[in-house]
Amino acid sequence: MSRDVLIRELRQIVGDRYVLTEKEDVIVYEQDASILQVMPEVVVLPADVGQVSAVVRAARRANVPIVPRGSGTGLAGGAVPAEGGIVLCLARMNRILEIDLKNRVAVVEPGVINIDVTKAVTKQGFFYAPDPSSQAACSIGGNVANNSGGPHTLAYGVTTNHVLAVEAVLDDGQAVWLGGRVADSPGYDLCGLFVGSEGTMGIVTKAAVRLMRTREAVQTLLAVFDRMEPATQTVVDITAAGIIPAALEMMDQLTIEAVEKGKPVGYPRDAAAVLLIELEGVREHTERAARLAEEICSRNGARQVRRAQSEAERQLLWKGRKEAFGALGALAPNYYVQDGVVPRSRLPEIMREVAEIGSRYRLRIANVFHAGDGNLHPNILFDMRVPGELDRVIEAGAAIVKACVAAGGSLTGEHGIGLEKKAYIGLLFNDDDLEAMARMRRAFDPDGRFNPAKVFPTPITCAEMRRQPAKIPAGLWI
Amino acid sequence: MNATIEQLAATLETALGSGSVTADASALASYNVDGKSPAIFCAPKDQDEVSAALRLCVEARAGVIPWGGGTAIRLGNIPRQADVILELKRLNKLIEHDDANLTASAQAGIKVVELQQILGQQRQFLPVEPPRPDLATIGGTAAANINGPRRMLYGGVRDLVIGMKVVLADGQQIKAGGKVVKNVAGYDMCKLFVGSLGTLGVITEVTFKMAPIPESAATLVATGPLSRGLQLVDQLMQSTLLPAAVAVVSAEATGVDSVRPAVAVRAEGFEDAVARHLRQAQELAGRMGLRAEVLREETHRSLWEQIRDFGSSGEAVAYRVTVPVASLADVVETIDRWSRSERAARFVAHAGSGTVWIASAADPAGAAWFPRLTALAKEQRGHAVMVAAPPEFKQGVDVWGAPPESLSIMREIKRQFDPHAILNPGRFIAGL
Ligand SMILES: Cc1cc2nc3c(=O)[nH]c(=O)nc-3n(C[C@H](O)[C@H](O)[C@H](O)COP(=O)(O)OP(=O)(O)OC[C@H]3O[C@@H](n4cnc5c(N)ncnc54)[C@H](O)[C@@H]3O)c2cc1C
Repeated sequence: MSRDVLIRELRQIVGDRYVLTEKEDVIVYEQDASILQVMPEVVVLPADVGQVSAVVRAARRANVPIVPRGSGTGLAGGAVPAEGGIVLCLARMNRILEIDLKNRVAVVEPGVINIDVTKAVTKQGFFYAPDPSSQAACSIGGNVANNSGGPHTLAYGVTTNHVLAVEAVLDDGQAVWLGGRVADSPGYDLCGLFVGSEGTMGIVTKAAVRLMRTREAVQTLLAVFDRMEPATQTVVDITAAGIIPAALEMMDQLTIEAVEKGKPVGYPRDAAAVLLIELEGVREHTERAARLAEEICSRNGARQVRRAQSEAERQLLWKGRKEAFGALGALAPNYYVQDGVVPRSRLPEIMREVAEIGSRYRLRIANVFHAGDGNLHPNILFDMRVPGELDRVIEAGAAIVKACVAAGGSLTGEHGIGLEKKAYIGLLFNDDDLEAMARMRRAFDPDGRFNPAKVFPTPITCAEMRRQPAKIPAGLWI
Repeated sequence: MNATIEQLAATLETALGSGSVTADASALASYNVDGKSPAIFCAPKDQDEVSAALRLCVEARAGVIPWGGGTAIRLGNIPRQADVILELKRLNKLIEHDDANLTASAQAGIKVVELQQILGQQRQFLPVEPPRPDLATIGGTAAANINGPRRMLYGGVRDLVIGMKVVLADGQQIKAGGKVVKNVAGYDMCKLFVGSLGTLGVITEVTFKMAPIPESAATLVATGPLSRGLQLVDQLMQSTLLPAAVAVVSAEATGVDSVRPAVAVRAEGFEDAVARHLRQAQELAGRMGLRAEVLREETHRSLWEQIRDFGSSGEAVAYRVTVPVASLADVVETIDRWSRSERAARFVAHAGSGTVWIASAADPAGAAWFPRLTALAKEQRGHAVMVAAPPEFKQGVDVWGAPPESLSIMREIKRQFDPHAILNPGRFIAGL
């Protein structure tokens, strides 16, 4: 099938307006929030599952790849059309189809923005737990594909723990429900396999997600440390004491500096690290857990431990954390976010190693991350205009990832492999492990039509991949 | 099979050593699967030997039954072919307990009770509670996806397992996941093996998240008319309380009460938080006219052990019905009605997961429960599974119920991972 015939078919399926081929239209879709860019050949915006099916069938006939895309906030290049083909953007499919509070389930289309699920049920006393810091923009479809986490997934679990079932359009164009509305559906856990498959197994067209009851009480603490070491030790000690906070976040000195340079929230500028600790549950639990956490902070030599006395104060404590990412712009024109995981107990040493890597590559690194589950986000600061600097940034990033794996961790905790880390997946999995994954892939997508050249360490054959720092929409944090 | 039993036994013996393999019928007598007695027993000592054994079995096209503690061996359809028992009990070591990180790795054949003892020394535990932990192994628990009463607070097996080592049917040794609680590198392959009932590979090692042993734990038991008990459950679910488990038990299902049904509410955590749960649950129960009693220590423990073990020993026929949580009350009332008007059955229902376990005698009336439970579950968008029954009851039915619309993918997965269908052939859904 020629390109023209395909485009004509696509127009028939979704309507002229929703097939983009002109450079000025498709350029918006050339990148996600990573540094990788490839100009799409054609972008299609379907309105419903029927259209998705028809597009998949057309792509199959024309033998071109399909790259699903949600909001494009991914940080691993997952939505970048590395092998050309159709970029299938699900943003128009953004309806919340069903809210069933008695059964604590919501059924949503893939383009629904994460925060809108929680917003739809807040008044009734419920929430959707996975809360990526990009939740004001990222889509449920993207969350499902990337198995996204967030600050509060420490206690509540990541996306896979909250998705009961997905409806997916598979390689033959059929829409099939994977998983079920109840626990333990007989058969293989296809929903569990699909979550985190980064768009390589099919297109999410609906998701049935769990809703949780809002906790009756919340306590939020901010602990300030003069040295990094005792701050990371505090994280280890809190977990070891049997307290599982809803969130346990860390910011280092460089991040604090950035925050205080921008819109100050009153973090001491000379502090080496601050910890934000949030405890949720019944009142009697949070009260006691907060006291214990305070004790642990003090025992580790925290200079100051502040407990929010009101919702307004709680918001203020979070404000710096939420604005940290944006504030990094005050320190350098560009920054590159890494994502690695170590066992919590290895946090003290990995933070030392990250600092060493920074000095080895002559780069400043600001750390702001989900410390409670050992999930680092070193932000490497740089200036794109300095020749060769981006290369050094990427090398430093690779060194951090290697250090995490060497410490018994993983090369990504929530951002995924995508294009960014496909060359490194061999650090964690050998050929046999990857071959087993490839068998899974073949079971779902024998022709490799969906999102080719992602996740697996196969070479990219596409002509032109460029690197350029992304423009991150306002209102997102990291 | 394309080799004789003697030939296969001999090659296995060469590979594993003579002490690890036997074809002696008397030694195999207790390894019966739905009336089928495999002819060869082998007990590899490590992952390499599991791999070697599977390679030989696939070559011989022998049907392999991986065997942990045998506690879930009644689950599943009658195997099409059962030639070799592959027992994992010798893979029984704890690999690592990273208590600061609240994770641990153990070989598949370790008994759950032994594992809990080791973890308990650091005041931690694995919040997965298979029946008969003195027999059940961690690998079998993961393979059969056996969840306990406290799932509503701690999550299920699929949520707690973060890493695995598996030997595939062709002997290939792979790892899935890792040792950290958050990890999205590659596909989430652990999900493939949890609940696959040993039909895709043999699990040899499991890494999981643990929880700290709570400072305090106690149970409120409320007895009285079933409908009021179910109202109590409803009120609890609507409250902001976070009980560790809420179970509805029929009369005689446990030693609690031989005439009346009861609701058991388990609270654990800090002392004050436990007291609060008990207080509030007691108030609610009182308002409903239920008789409430607090159980601590031994009586608390023993009740939950009975609930955990329900349906696992002695019962001739056991079913599991799972429905959306809000439908649980209706389903339980219907089951109770049938039980009183037709065939006596005992049940335990878990409010957090919408699961009801039903046990009854092995007579035709007991067998007749299955189609009725299936229809009942379907009405509520749930499903029913015949989890244990004598082989004659399993004949001609799929114990897993009607297959889902995604069956063709499941078939393709089975084909990709076990093309010669040697692993537990036929036991899984739709005869996979
Ligand atoms: C400032 C910032 C903060 C962030 N914070 C977090 C965080 O705290 N935690 C976290 O986990 N991530 C975080 N992220 C990463 C990102 O937001 C998540 O990965 C998010 O889930 C991506 O959603 P999206 O809709 O933007 O997906 P996209 O970027 O559009 O796509 C992501 C992947 O999903 C696939 N995909 C999208 N939609 C579908 C579909 N319907 N069916 C199948 N596949 C699909 C794409 O092919 C791609 O591989 C952050 C990103 C930014 C920019």
